[in-house]
Amino acid sequence: MQNYLAVIKIEHTLVYYLTNTVEMIKISNLDFGYSKHKPLFKNMSMQLSNGHIYGLLGKNGAGKSSLLKNLAGLVYAQGGSLEVMGFNPAKRQPALLEQICFIPEEFYLPPVKIDSYIKANAPFYKNFNHSYFAELLKEFDIPASNKLINMSYGQKKKFIIAFGLATEAKLVIMDEPTNGLDIPSKAQFRKIMASALTDERCIIISTHQVRDLDNLIDTVIMLDENDVALKASVEQITEKLTFKKVKELDESIIYAEPSLSGYNAVMPNYHNEESKLDMELLFNAILAEKTKFKPLFN
Amino acid sequence: MNNTFNINRFGLLLKRQWLDFGKIYLISLLVILGVVIGFYAWNSPSPLKLNNYDGDGNLDMRFRYGLFLILGFIFISVVASSYYALLGQKPRAILELMTPASTFEKFLAGVFYTAVLSLATYLILYYLVDLSFVKYINAHLSEFKVDGAKQSSMKPVESISAQIFSDENYRHYFLHFISVPFLITSVFLLGSVYFNRFHYIKTAISVMIFTGAASYLIFKSVNLLTRNMVNVSHGGHRNNEQLAFLLIFLITAALTLIFWAITYIRLKEKEV
Repeated sequence: MQNYLAVIKIEHTLVYYLTNTVEMIKISNLDFGYSKHKPLFKNMSMQLSNGHIYGLLGKNGAGKSSLLKNLAGLVYAQGGSLEVMGFNPAKRQPALLEQICFIPEEFYLPPVKIDSYIKANAPFYKNFNHSYFAELLKEFDIPASNKLINMSYGQKKKFIIAFGLATEAKLVIMDEPTNGLDIPSKAQFRKIMASALTDERCIIISTHQVRDLDNLIDTVIMLDENDVALKASVEQITEKLTFKKVKELDESIIYAEPSLSGYNAVMPNYHNEESKLDMELLFNAILAEKTKFKPLFN
Repeated sequence: MNNTFNINRFGLLLKRQWLDFGKIYLISLLVILGVVIGFYAWNSPSPLKLNNYDGDGNLDMRFRYGLFLILGFIFISVVASSYYALLGQKPRAILELMTPASTFEKFLAGVFYTAVLSLATYLILYYLVDLSFVKYINAHLSEFKVDGAKQSSMKPVESISAQIFSDENYRHYFLHFISVPFLITSVFLLGSVYFNRFHYIKTAISVMIFTGAASYLIFKSVNLLTRNMVNVSHGGHRNNEQLAFLLIFLITAALTLIFWAITYIRLKEKEV
């Protein structure tokens, strides 16, 4: 009876999280680090909802991959709490695992044919969409009869992305997904990811190559100094800041970088000007002038 | 959805694990088959050889007991030691840990492949090779000679399995030592999840150190407990062989269960 009630509870939780626009991920006062003396996250809190593509940015060693691993239950938090679709990811329960598509930076694929891999792995995901998978393979230009071991790194990466998306998982976590992809593949990737976003899905992409995510992400999360340095939607950022080229520096400019024809500058958007978010500039600006940006987004 | 155990999911997991584990397993099995056949072909009695008999005048097949034990130990320990070895490699560990099956199912799959399948296939393989050679030798009994003369009533050779099942003493030993192979696989399975590299060597060294330390401690404590005491026996010498065998069975079975439990906990705690 108790077991039956537990099963009913899990199913209700999933249905609730998959049918409502709610915080899919709740991180409260998270403490994490690989050594006790050097914490990576201290008291980190954040909520992520479905229907968004989040871009996770940060310097090397800021903890992007570790945050993603915490969400996937691959590492354990030392303090605070983490909730993904109502589950504690550290418990690695199948009901949650089948709703997570995790594309790591370094991955392994067994030396088998695509067909055999699908036969062995797809049945674990009750929503696995075979026709969508075939469509994605076609889009990525990967012959379905290929042996995984004979494929290039880029092709393998496209294969696991296609497999992950075809699982119809509600939480898609990607760590440096564009690493190893050639220029046409990056464009294909952006197109596929844009079409993969549904109201039920939450997509988190961590990357160093911010230009690869241009026009794709709708919310920027930046990690720095053990915490979230910025979490704001592209709309919020361009509402509050303007990005433009200027000939000379003045006091209103928060941050600027020299360019061929003057400076690329970030300044407060006092006159509701429309500008395109320059993610690389914003990234450098936040790292350099964190204290100046904080009041704008709090 | 039951998040601890589901028979369909467990079946899927066994099938999936076979994709990775199966090929290496089958290759090791072929190697073992080759080694067993090679040893039997080289050491079995043959009418062409001069010295075919043991001290009792029977055809000498004594080599097979040592071969069975040593090869069996190597095979089941190597298979067990390689099962979770992939968790030591980050990319493979991520794929394994993210597979939608519970930790308990992943643990049970490990026990199935290492303790059940490897042991069963080794026993079947050895049984078949042994039986084939025994049948072959018995079919050519009349060709064997003693001191240059053919024997009219040469005693046929028995297969190992027939020896165990027809002799009460053998059956007795067999039943009380039945947990030993499971204990071996459980120790090496734990080693495969505990260590990230060089699983086999590190497990073997750990076992040696622990066994050595335990033997030393037992020896020392018994020495201390019985110091300045004399052996008093009323009614002559008492043979406690039955109790010793029972203890061997109970201790090996308990240790196996303990090692499996630790393996499950380590698997649950595994981080990438």
